Amino acid sequence: MDAVLLTQSLISGIMMGMVYALLSVGFSLTWGVMHVIHISHAAFGLLGAYVAYSLLEYFGVDPIVSAAVSVPLLFLLACGVYQLLIKPITKAKEVIVASMILTFGLAIILENVMVLIWKADPRIMTPTYSSGALIVGPLYFQYPHLVGFGLSIVGITAIYLFLQKTYTGMAVRAAWQQPEAAQLYGVNLYRISMITFALAVSTAGAGGISLALLNSFEPHSHNLWLIYLFLVVIVGGVGNVVGTALAGLIIGVITGLSMALLPFQWVNLVTFGLLMVFLIFRPHGLFKQGV
Amino acid sequence: MKGKRMKGFSLFMTIAVLCGIMLTVPAAAIGAGKPIVIGGSLPLTGEFAETGLWIERGMRYWAEEINTKGGLLGRPVEFKIYDDQSNVGKAVTFAEKAITVDKVDLLFGGYPGTAARAVMAVAEKHKMVYISMGGHMKSFQQGYAYSFGAPPLMGEWWYEGFFQWLNSLPANQRPKRAAVYTINNPVGLSLQDCIYRWTKYLNIKIVIDEKYNSPLTDATSMIVKAKQMNCDILFSNGFFPDGVTTMKAAKALGYNPKAIVQGIGSVVPAWVKELGADGNYVFSGTVLHGMLNYPGNDKLNAYVKKKYKLGIYPLYFGFGYAWMQTLQQGVTGANSLDQTKIRDWLKTHKVNTIAGPMTFDKYGLPGPINFATQIINGKVELIWPKNVQTKQPVYPKPAWTK
Repeated sequence: MDAVLLTQSLISGIMMGMVYALLSVGFSLTWGVMHVIHISHAAFGLLGAYVAYSLLEYFGVDPIVSAAVSVPLLFLLACGVYQLLIKPITKAKEVIVASMILTFGLAIILENVMVLIWKADPRIMTPTYSSGALIVGPLYFQYPHLVGFGLSIVGITAIYLFLQKTYTGMAVRAAWQQPEAAQLYGVNLYRISMITFALAVSTAGAGGISLALLNSFEPHSHNLWLIYLFLVVIVGGVGNVVGTALAGLIIGVITGLSMALLPFQWVNLVTFGLLMVFLIFRPHGLFKQGV
Repeated sequence: MKGKRMKGFSLFMTIAVLCGIMLTVPAAAIGAGKPIVIGGSLPLTGEFAETGLWIERGMRYWAEEINTKGGLLGRPVEFKIYDDQSNVGKAVTFAEKAITVDKVDLLFGGYPGTAARAVMAVAEKHKMVYISMGGHMKSFQQGYAYSFGAPPLMGEWWYEGFFQWLNSLPANQRPKRAAVYTINNPVGLSLQDCIYRWTKYLNIKIVIDEKYNSPLTDATSMIVKAKQMNCDILFSNGFFPDGVTTMKAAKALGYNPKAIVQGIGSVVPAWVKELGADGNYVFSGTVLHGMLNYPGNDKLNAYVKKKYKLGIYPLYFGFGYAWMQTLQQGVTGANSLDQTKIRDWLKTHKVNTIAGPMTFDKYGLPGPINFATQIINGKVELIWPKNVQTKQPVYPKPAWTK
């Protein structure tokens, strides 16, 4: 076995896995806290990618800088979407089913809006470092992978610290663990849910930008991204931030090892086979659920 | 409060529904008389939307042109175009619907090859002439009598021109070791035939021959392997997304083979537009090109220049137009909308298209067509055969510029 190939594949796999983790952490949060399976989560991520693409193309703004613009914008947009669409369905008898149907429709609408604005043409985010690499001995650390990895670490850590160290974050956790008791202590469930939803969509934006640095994207790309969301969240455990990060790492390691050791046509089979195995043996994920 | 919210929600949904309707509005009927309706589906959204939209534009340009000239058999033509969302199953459903529910007069060709080859069976069942790119050689060998490739998209022919050009080089200048990465679907696999035949003939050793499944999210390992095994020619037999991922990894990892040969992805306009200089020097093949010296190409180039600010018409714009040209000649030649008469006329007569003159064999195929292309300075140039050459090929490929 060639050590360079193995190490290189692992590096790329882990970095890619962490980007999926960033994209997934918000999806996990809305599912865990609000019981909303947000199918349009990846479409919002894609929207973030398109905004960053346009800012880069027309104003030369680096995607990392534009994340500072698009992430808060997505936060505000998500607050509006929550008030208009999500809040009413949280009163439904079957929130999970209702949320899936509603947000599936929202994803289609968002996709069509993106087609109208940016057309169906595939796009590539090409900042100056898009095809560069940091060379360390025989190993190449591709800059887009490094940027995506860095954004993921920052994004996931920020979410984790928010949940652990801030009053609002603790309220989110309380709402997840004991909603009725949290209400008795003055926690406004709707406000908490709106913040959770908006925060989740914001992280989708950051994840979308990171992913767009690695691969080309089109208005329908969110459908593919959604598959990875489910994969990461199911492996990591619903609502578990640390679990999501670890799931990203694990998926990255498995993908990296598969690409180095197996014929390439087996890679997706192995990665998604993993999902089936987890569903069979640990239907609630590898890690304990909870925020 | 609740009323306001409902009002807002209703407004939002109304706009959304209107947006949806806007995307599916068919072309308006032009001219007098009962229109001839030409139906079918194209991937106007989803994975192949970029290509599907260009095919639609080519078809609509043809319709615009023929309606201005008085129509087909004296009747205006109009399209009934469904969006199959890049889904083969939906393409089949819409073909059935167009024939049995809409009762269209004629069918138009779909995309990609996987959809076209599935619709070929539907067309055969209903005895409807179906002119498309088909789904590579095997799709034309099913014994269908009503399907024609005019021009077809034949993976088996795709690199013929490239290899013929390579054969023209002195043996010591040719690559020696090949890495072949192929997308694991009928389109990708059809490209292998040509590679296996020619590499054997030219004594090029295939040291890596691997298939991958879509989506290809990272090509790092592929490139590391090719680099480690000193492969001096890379065949990236895939579509746009995997082609881009491979090219980006090749550049990032400093992999500089003598030649990179790419399948279908490099012929879509987004390749040069989005990849910029990094998309240069990639070899590929085509059966159609705006610089070919056949009647109609100049007119199409002028049209896309004015309408889309492009120097040359995109390949699939040309396909859409050429298929309709063939259908038009079949209908006018048969002087009828009777499908069997149209089929018989096409089987026994020559048609003239922007891809050149064609006669069809028992499979509905013209003789092999293949031109080698290379992207030079952001343009898809014809490099072989010599009589159609628009630019000298750049070989070996210059090293990546940082």
